[in-house]
Amino acid sequence: MARSWRDPSEQALARVLLAPAFALLALIVVYPVGRLLLTSLYDDSLTSGHAARFVGLENFQLVWEDPSFWSALINTLLIVLFTVPGAMVAGMLLALVANMPFRRKWPVRLALLIPWALPLAFVGLIAGWFFQSDYGIVNDVLRPFVSQKIIWFNSPTLSFAAMCMAIVWKTSSFVAMILLAGLQTIPADVYEAARVDGASKWQQFWQVTLPLLRPSIVVAAIFRTITALQTFDIPATMTRGGPGDATSTLAMYIHQTTVDFLDIGYGSALAVVMFAISMVVSTIYLRNLRTGN
Amino acid sequence: MIRRLGLAALASLVFAQVASAQTNLNVFVSPQQQPQLMRKAFDAYEAAHPGVKITIQSGGTTSELQAAYLNTVMSAKDSNLDIFLLDIVRPAQFAAANWTVPLNDQVGDAAALMKTYLPAYADADQVDGKLVALPAFADAMFLYYRKDLLEKYNVAVPKTWAEAAAAAKKIQEGEHNPDLQGVNFQGAPIEGTVCTFLLPYWSQGKNLVKDGALTWDKPAALKSFAVWKGMVDSGAAPRNSAEIITEQTRKDFQAGKSVFAVLWSYGWAQFQGPDSAVKDKVGVAVLPSVDGGQPVSCIGGWQWGVSAYSTHKKESIDLIRYMSSMDVSRQLAVEGSLMPVFPSLYQDPAVLKATPWFANALPVVTAAKSRPVTARYNEVSDIIRTSTNAVLAGSVGAEEAASQMEARLRRVLR
Repeated sequence: MARSWRDPSEQALARVLLAPAFALLALIVVYPVGRLLLTSLYDDSLTSGHAARFVGLENFQLVWEDPSFWSALINTLLIVLFTVPGAMVAGMLLALVANMPFRRKWPVRLALLIPWALPLAFVGLIAGWFFQSDYGIVNDVLRPFVSQKIIWFNSPTLSFAAMCMAIVWKTSSFVAMILLAGLQTIPADVYEAARVDGASKWQQFWQVTLPLLRPSIVVAAIFRTITALQTFDIPATMTRGGPGDATSTLAMYIHQTTVDFLDIGYGSALAVVMFAISMVVSTIYLRNLRTGN
Repeated sequence: MIRRLGLAALASLVFAQVASAQTNLNVFVSPQQQPQLMRKAFDAYEAAHPGVKITIQSGGTTSELQAAYLNTVMSAKDSNLDIFLLDIVRPAQFAAANWTVPLNDQVGDAAALMKTYLPAYADADQVDGKLVALPAFADAMFLYYRKDLLEKYNVAVPKTWAEAAAAAKKIQEGEHNPDLQGVNFQGAPIEGTVCTFLLPYWSQGKNLVKDGALTWDKPAALKSFAVWKGMVDSGAAPRNSAEIITEQTRKDFQAGKSVFAVLWSYGWAQFQGPDSAVKDKVGVAVLPSVDGGQPVSCIGGWQWGVSAYSTHKKESIDLIRYMSSMDVSRQLAVEGSLMPVFPSLYQDPAVLKATPWFANALPVVTAAKSRPVTARYNEVSDIIRTSTNAVLAGSVGAEEAASQMEARLRRVLR
């Protein structure tokens, strides 16, 4: 096999066969990312009245000095910090429930799918109504326990908490599905062996399930972290970033800069920074996965 | 047989000629701007111009969402839209981006034409001498009040915000209804909140921007915050004012939940509608002023612009000239209670029959002030609305918010 790979005709064939995939990749990944990098080096604002001009790394200098960027970045990192572990724990519990030996499996699986299948913006709107101080169901439920209606969106902390709850609710089912798939690959005889050795249910979970589930957990965590870094729809529809800019995220700031403010160059620079952060995080995870194996 | 085929071929050729002579114009009208009314005017235009077919495209229930949509379409240089209906704060930005066709050479004497409209629109639609858009209908903010409740408690229509707050408290206490709101206004981080901030600011005789330069007055800004935050804290305005968007104000007042509403003119027709709890109980007045200040309103209204990427510019210009004519303005006023853009129509019998309070609206609309006219309006708007929202929510103090606002506004309006 190794020898035939070195055969020039085989190599040429491989190239030909791989060419379409490379072309496609170039078209949908390399070109847009390259274009983004290029645009980030220009002062290109449609409201300025002048044509785009090359400014080198000046946009990145401005990003560094921009308080709105830092506040959006911190909010985004806090969302990662709270909602990734939140969704992992909730997703794990859901997956364990769904993996129980029900006689009919589909109703549980279907229930698991529903939050995942709902559009993000829809979840944001619904959650916004849930937490609305006058009409919201959350305050209705809390009525017997609190003296005055809680105005969730008046407080930066409560707004942020409400938003994180909505995100965890929405994303934990995705985590659960990945973990459920992982759980089903664990052979039953491993548990049997553990039982024979006298392991309790709790020990089985920590010593058998969790280690064997590790690849699935890492995959779910990568996806969840990257989507958490890109959080946009739920705060955009639920809190509009308020109060003030307490729940405004990096993705919202990029959208606002490019679409609302039409500052294409600066928005591209912000997007490059976000892209770099996503790359760093994924690399760390992937490395962790590889060494783990 | 052959002859018949030949005839059919000829017929289809003629038909193809007619079809190609047909001009399709795509017009963007948001669902909030009563597309059904515009459709009636378009139908009349189509009937008079057999070669023209008009299609309405719609989307975005708020001014911000519409702007985001149009910004996307226009930055892509999409020729799919020919005409758009623009909020009064947009023409400057569209002009800077060269997204609209300048109309100066297309309308004869542009200056003379614009003099026929309300002055605010002549200002908003002409940018650096370029006529960017033509007025469709006017709008301004008013104080809606519950006539029945004010009469019951023998309270006069308030002239100042302090009087409004006192009246609200008196009626709330008298009604023994903890859910009755006093002054309902917009405090969510939305476009309407820009006007919320500016109303008491302007009322002190201060401008925010003059000739493109920032004329920031910090005491006036603090006073504006104090007016609104004071009402929220005292209970004269809803505690959750920082959550309230324009439509919420409309719904709350329409459901009989508030004594006063600070709202655009579109509320009137809805308050008189069949599913309104306050039908025939509503009065409209000039907005209150700060103590010792002058009453002032925030001007709104919508403009017709022609896309620079349209492939039917001439036909589009003809259509918007028709849509900005006096006949259509009257029709929109009579059928949809949309405020006319021509001063004379405020005395027009047909208009007044449909909406009697327009008789007193002309001075308000004439004196109403424009939000800053700048190509970077979206940034200015974002600064004002997020700061005001934070103050109303109580998450940032007024002093700190005012300083931040000034610093950020200085970066945008150099």
